[in-house]
Amino acid sequence: MRTSLALNQRRPWREICFPNGEWVLALALAVEIAIFARIGENFFTLSNFFEVVRLSVELGLLALAMTPIMITGGIDLSVGSIMGLSAVVFGVLWRDGGWPIAAAAGAALLLGCLAGLLNAVLITKLNLPPLIVTLGSLSLFRGIAEGITKGAENYSGFPAGFLRLGQGYIGGVVPVQFSFLLAAIGAYWVLLHRSAIGRTLYAVGFSPGGARYAGIPVQRRVALLYFLSGAVASVAAVIYVAHLGQAKSDAGTGYELAAITAVVLGGTSVFGGRGTVWGTVLGLFAISVLQNGLRLAALPSEMTGVLTGVVLVLTIGLGRLRGRARSNQATIDEADAMKNSQLAILCCAVVGGSLIVAGTNIWLVRSLRPADGVLATTAARTLAKPGKRPVVAMMPKSKGDPYFISCRAGAEEAAKEAGVDLIWDGPTGLDAAKQNEVVEGWITRGVDAIAVSVENSAGISTVLRKARARGIKVVTWDADAAPDARDYFINQATPEGIGFTLVDEGARLLGGKGEFAIITGPLSAANQNAWMEFMHQRVAAQYPEMKLAAMRPSDDDRDKAFAETQTILKVYPKVKLIVTISAPAVPGSAEAVQQAGRKDVFVIGLSLPNLCKRYVHDGVVQAVVLWNTKDLGYLTVYTAALLVEGRTGKDSLQAGRLGTVEVRGSQVILGKPFIFNKGNIDQYDF
Amino acid sequence: MLQRHRREISLIVSILAIVAVLAVVAPGFFTFANQRDLMLANMPVLIVALGMVLVILTGQIDISVGSQFAICSVATGVFARMGLPTPLAGVGACLVGALMGSVNGALVAWVRIPSIVVTLATMVALRDGLRWVTQGAWVQDLPPGFQWFGQSQAASEVITAGCAAVLAVGMNWGLRNLAAGRVVYATGSSPNAARLAGINPRLVVFAVFVLTGALTGFAAVCNAVRFLQIPSNAGIGLELKVIAAVVVGGVAISGGRGTIAGTLLGVLLLGVIGPALTFLGFSAYWERAIEGGIILAAVSMDAVRVRSGKHADIVSAQPA
Repeated sequence: MRTSLALNQRRPWREICFPNGEWVLALALAVEIAIFARIGENFFTLSNFFEVVRLSVELGLLALAMTPIMITGGIDLSVGSIMGLSAVVFGVLWRDGGWPIAAAAGAALLLGCLAGLLNAVLITKLNLPPLIVTLGSLSLFRGIAEGITKGAENYSGFPAGFLRLGQGYIGGVVPVQFSFLLAAIGAYWVLLHRSAIGRTLYAVGFSPGGARYAGIPVQRRVALLYFLSGAVASVAAVIYVAHLGQAKSDAGTGYELAAITAVVLGGTSVFGGRGTVWGTVLGLFAISVLQNGLRLAALPSEMTGVLTGVVLVLTIGLGRLRGRARSNQATIDEADAMKNSQLAILCCAVVGGSLIVAGTNIWLVRSLRPADGVLATTAARTLAKPGKRPVVAMMPKSKGDPYFISCRAGAEEAAKEAGVDLIWDGPTGLDAAKQNEVVEGWITRGVDAIAVSVENSAGISTVLRKARARGIKVVTWDADAAPDARDYFINQATPEGIGFTLVDEGARLLGGKGEFAIITGPLSAANQNAWMEFMHQRVAAQYPEMKLAAMRPSDDDRDKAFAETQTILKVYPKVKLIVTISAPAVPGSAEAVQQAGRKDVFVIGLSLPNLCKRYVHDGVVQAVVLWNTKDLGYLTVYTAALLVEGRTGKDSLQAGRLGTVEVRGSQVILGKPFIFNKGNIDQYDF
Repeated sequence: MLQRHRREISLIVSILAIVAVLAVVAPGFFTFANQRDLMLANMPVLIVALGMVLVILTGQIDISVGSQFAICSVATGVFARMGLPTPLAGVGACLVGALMGSVNGALVAWVRIPSIVVTLATMVALRDGLRWVTQGAWVQDLPPGFQWFGQSQAASEVITAGCAAVLAVGMNWGLRNLAAGRVVYATGSSPNAARLAGINPRLVVFAVFVLTGALTGFAAVCNAVRFLQIPSNAGIGLELKVIAAVVVGGVAISGGRGTIAGTLLGVLLLGVIGPALTFLGFSAYWERAIEGGIILAAVSMDAVRVRSGKHADIVSAQPA
């Protein structure tokens, strides 16, 4: 292994610029840029460059803080959770505590330092492995954030001066938060590559024991890094809040893995002792350019993960080959190094194996597709250059949710009938930051209309206003943004309507009295929290004899809903009604009730007819409340298409096969929620 | 004895503390039905953890198991819909898992990319690949004999639990008493020494990854047969649960140290906390915080004792 520490020999320029084999990554980045400049629309522009930079600031900060930690051979998995906790505390102090912004930010920073300190103490004083400690504090910090906010509290309405920090531009071009990233890059560069402390960190990474004999205060150095990591994570949290305009307990979920990916992609060794700030920055941009480029080229965003994986294996793999070829250290490991020919065979075998895996996957799913009625319109359709047809870009809250998948079926149908091209993209889980990112990408690309199912109204409204200012038509569907941020809202049902319908249906089954339990999605899901709010209201006002015994999260996971329902049935034997308000969770609850043989327990909920048909016929699920999701997707795209052509009426619009649809103000009304039950569920297929 | 098994002992103390509180406050926790449901709910974590122990014992890590789990689940359903009887479909899914494990293993063992990098790459690539091809659709309309392997529910549960128990006991015995088990410890303790002792450390590393893949496949099958449909997003976050159970169970992340018995205790502790909090009537909002606190407390307990017992060993402070 070589590092920048070998000082007393002349080195070729390549090693001076790329001491750690980063040239492989730099090359990969250059290739990415070259490809996307060709196939992406408006990719190779200055404004898009700054857009990419702007969206990678929070992640970049975390990755920078992670770099020296990994150089000492440690890891910090808790950074994403520290972000969530800091964001929430910042919001609480500002809104509920009435503190000034600066003081609240200071307190958030202090809290980040404390959280980092806790990690540091456990790791250095108790000699616990960093992986275990930060795995535990990952749950702890996120859990405290959820506890403080009850998952639902969403702090927004921050003053414009503060939001400039995350949304403004210096001189109209350079994003404000870019300065923070630059400062952090500078600071960490000095720390790692230009200071005595930095050299000791490499020494610690190579051999903690040896470093100690060399007189390095190992524990103090390591503690400093975790402390810094907590502090940097809370800075990232404040920027995140300013960027999105909201502080919520789910801030930064999953960022730890993204940060680690950037760091290892940048050539930092997970065993410690090797790594550079320069490499981490390259790694960071290799990932964000990939995401941005795929979006601008309207390629399916799932390619991001696949390509990230490939780039990761290739760059690190090539880096290792190079290291092996040039190294003349006579370690045992090297003594049995394989010949290049053997290595080539092996690489072929590995690539072949991956192809088989990929092939079987595609084949597996092909065989499942026709029967399931999944749309076979993905790459081929979106790949087509838009030509003169208008482009409608449509975003669900979460791409993997069966609810949104069924909306997409209608959307594709409308796109075909109305003669527009449809781009379907969005986050894979509930993620407000990702939604903003996708919309920013569409603005840069220059689509004709944007249709969004909004996760966070305050956060996305700013971006949607920007889109409208550029002449893009904006429609919201499923969940609304601020009224001035969009042209129309396709209103399928109000949260009030859903909450009341569910409670009324449940009360009918229970005869107006008894205990019930709710299984929700993730605790922080905005929609579900709004529905529950109205459910509470309705129960309090109309059914005083009904009592909510328990509310449990399912995280939109069928298996978790199953386990939670089983537990509820046992802990609260008096519960006679389970209300499950997450589409994938209803089959889980139903299966749990069925397996428990509790014929006296009713299950109702919000889900898709196709997922529940069997349980409805078995008499386990009494009612599923939903609107026609296909029609919702259809109406959304049709409205967007009419908007682009300027053919929307004042009180109604002609939406293809749906005929005349009522328009109230700026809301397009789909109709009332349906109640699916044994009698009618077979008439629907979605 | 006490020194060697201090992590196991602090785990047992933690579990006993929780159990004692439950016995007083919520005796309903100990009904047979609840114990059975708990065991079945934690079966996937347990089976995957059995593979993960081996991987971590060799000094590697596999964070792609959650994605493998999802793919194997879908594969089970697809095979079943092609008309294979459920047990055969299950074997097919295990093979798919082994295939994915072999890609991981080959990259780690012979191309010598660090395992966290390889499995990070396969984690995102496999997960997004599955999303890409399924577009999120669930596998539905499974043949009628699919659920419970075509047996009764009770029989199927006994079969699953029996398989898991045989696997756990067999591996616990084999790790100590078979050459194939001891080479895992040898490789993890020192690959170079292992090599000089006539072991092929690369083959060992490759084998444990393949085995983990196959076990992940088996876990996916056991889980899939309990339901009528198979979601394509299964196993999100499974890797963290499994790794937490293994390291809390006292397996050293640097390799070479740890037991199956400790891992079982780790799975038990983490599996009991969640439902126990529900039984004790805690609000769902604080549950994660309490879970995290208990994990930290459990692992800190033996560390504090070591410190007070003997002078801390500086080298062990920085595992790779």
